[in-house]
Amino acid sequence: MIKVNRASVQGSSGKTGSQTNRLTRRQSIWGLVFLSPWLIGFFAFQLLPILATIFLSFTNYNGNVTFKLGNFKFVGFANYARITTDPNVLQALGVTLKFAAISVPLGLVVPLLFALLVNSKHLIGRNLFRTLYYLPSVLPVVAATMIFNGVLNAQSGWINQLLALIHIPGPRWFSDPNWAVPALNLIALWGVGNAMIILLAGLQNVPTEILEAATIDGASGVQRFWYITIPLISPVIFYNLTLGVINGFQYFIPAMLIGGINGNPQGATLTYNLQFYREAFVFSEMGYASVMALILFVITMICTTVMFTWGQRRVYYAGGER
Amino acid sequence: MKRQLYVLITLLMAASMILTACATAPTVAPATSAPATAAPTTAAPATAAPAAAATATAAPTVAPTPTVVPTVMSGGEGCASNAPKITWFVGLGGGTDPAVIPQEKAWVDKYNKSQTYACLILQVVHNPESYDALRAMIAAGDPPDIVGPVGKLGRENFRGGWADITPLAAANSFSLAGYDPALLNFLKDNGIQIGLPFALFPGVIFYNKALFDEAKLPYPPHKIGDLYQGKPWTWDALTELAKKLTVDKNGNDATMAAFDNKNITQFGMWMGFTGGRRMTAPYGGAVPYVGTDYTTAVIPQQWKDEWTWYYNGIWAKDAFMPNNDYASSAAFGSGNPFSSGNTAMTWTLTWYTCCFDMAKINWDMAVVPPVNGTLTAGIDGDTFSIPAGSKNQTLAFKVMKDMVMDADLGPIYGGIPGNTALRQAFFDGMKAKSGSNTVDWNVALAMLPYPDIPHHEAWMPNMSKSESAIDAFYNKMSTTSGLDLNAEFGKLQDALTALYKAAPSQ
Repeated sequence: MIKVNRASVQGSSGKTGSQTNRLTRRQSIWGLVFLSPWLIGFFAFQLLPILATIFLSFTNYNGNVTFKLGNFKFVGFANYARITTDPNVLQALGVTLKFAAISVPLGLVVPLLFALLVNSKHLIGRNLFRTLYYLPSVLPVVAATMIFNGVLNAQSGWINQLLALIHIPGPRWFSDPNWAVPALNLIALWGVGNAMIILLAGLQNVPTEILEAATIDGASGVQRFWYITIPLISPVIFYNLTLGVINGFQYFIPAMLIGGINGNPQGATLTYNLQFYREAFVFSEMGYASVMALILFVITMICTTVMFTWGQRRVYYAGGER
Repeated sequence: MKRQLYVLITLLMAASMILTACATAPTVAPATSAPATAAPTTAAPATAAPAAAATATAAPTVAPTPTVVPTVMSGGEGCASNAPKITWFVGLGGGTDPAVIPQEKAWVDKYNKSQTYACLILQVVHNPESYDALRAMIAAGDPPDIVGPVGKLGRENFRGGWADITPLAAANSFSLAGYDPALLNFLKDNGIQIGLPFALFPGVIFYNKALFDEAKLPYPPHKIGDLYQGKPWTWDALTELAKKLTVDKNGNDATMAAFDNKNITQFGMWMGFTGGRRMTAPYGGAVPYVGTDYTTAVIPQQWKDEWTWYYNGIWAKDAFMPNNDYASSAAFGSGNPFSSGNTAMTWTLTWYTCCFDMAKINWDMAVVPPVNGTLTAGIDGDTFSIPAGSKNQTLAFKVMKDMVMDADLGPIYGGIPGNTALRQAFFDGMKAKSGSNTVDWNVALAMLPYPDIPHHEAWMPNMSKSESAIDAFYNKMSTTSGLDLNAEFGKLQDALTALYKAAPSQ
């Protein structure tokens, strides 16, 4: 909030102290008035649910009954103790980490390659390609997933049919537990258009004079890319990395559509969020599900903190701002 | 100035709430392992089961979870002024297909204009999200007054949350004596009468006449006890027939040595829209425990027999049913093989008429064969129920009775009416939808007396988790060849036992 120098205000306008106080109070009130939409939304739809989640995590509340005293018991840390031994949670964490381990690097490299491609002055019809690569990210994730469900079908999907043309037996993408997560990663690639656009903006902000100076000094294309372009767009890469990790942990809709609530085949698509959904909305164990939600928050927070700590040393901010 | 400020604050607060509410629109949750089509769930005699857990009642404190807000499809147009509102919640069973919703809305509008004592409000939630939505309504102390069509599974997921309609019927001077006691018994959960007979869906064998004609094979029997090609109509006979009707891309059928099960273009049989439990219905009803021992799982022998038959049927060299890869492929209807026209037979329940083009496919029904001399067709049956937390139960019953007795509402859901006086109108309606096909609905009527008892959606300990475990097992069978089935049965039994022991209350 902007601090008002009272002396200068008094001096310039000649107002008394009480008049200044009234002015300040009025400005504060108007400030709060204009902030009120966000404040009300925050309290009603963010803070209250967070507090309710923390409260529920200490109860055995079952979602099938009215939420009132008598319909649940306080169980202390029993829900927290249970999560450490729940094999489904451990499996779901494994699936999520496996998914993130593939999706995060892919989500950085592939859009960067696309951005380099559509930023190239040698590419004819750059705007057309930028639009085409961005277009899939406009599609609703449910529609895209349903399309890929057909595309990756082991019998009739065109990817396996293409592989069959060159006598390569296609994977049973959604029937084989070993191929289910890679298949989900393929689907995730469908939406890299957003990251590509952000990286493209970053690439276009790289000063050409630095690249030209490096060229004159004899730097090769790879050297220019590695020692100049990458450091200069590192804030954008870091931004995509952070979002990628958070999105990886929150991955849900495609997994649910492909594998159903059981994470078929054989739990291979049972992500952490899907397991949370099952506990909360299928099994109605709201208390236990609240713990899962809080644990996910803690994990994400730790990852983000670690990344920001690392980012302070590794990411180059022009002007020294961090 | 002060007044203007207050007005402005009020307006901003109102606007903020509206904007925030819009901005936090709920995410539509995706499908569950249930069939893609919104098939009705079931009713049928439950086994003796432990006491109800909890009953939904009374006033709200805090609604705890994000949820899907039910869509009001009809806001009570045509209601008499001051008529009390009765909310009808659709979603746990059938009734959420896009084609069905306008019919429901039209029926509600007609109903509201036809009487003055109630104003019926229709709310529809897509089936996968409906459980979540109803839970949130109950948790908030504002449950609907009528829920349905709903079957066994939907009701069991809210076990203990339904009103006993017997006193409500008495309060409305409505006698239950006019109903077949067996049908009334169908609709008792844990000894409580939770609804009136409404829509019945017996199991039958749907068959594609064109594929039989092409193979020059006679149609399967329409009457119980009839022979097929001079032999008794059994599951073994059906299996042999299905193999003859399963064809690979070279034209070989599954009885031939050269048959290529990696390139099948037509299947002889499909267990239509089944899960791990539903598919066992024709082998005889059962539950995975013995007596009242709710802590030890015992996989019934008939389940093992049926699952073995199914597993061999999809993975053997002479496979005659689609595994998961085939069934989900475009050539076989992307999860609905019979609708593709490339599958000759399917055992399923008559709600399946919702899910294929009845006028386009040349189809009819045959009787379900017996297993070891015992005929079990299986049955689903939907009804309407009144949540125990409804604040207007007596009036809700009065409206529910009108719904069940109405000749126009039942046909919307495709079930054979529980009220025998309404059946001919139902058959006439189905005939009109069947194009040039002449369907023998007497087959379905003949199957009604052969339900699976205990029902395939009957209660079991830790219901939703146990159901989930069985469905995961079913998916494993459908996607994995080379399993040691006996070992898998043992693993499932152990998993169920663990779930039973972990059940919060019995």
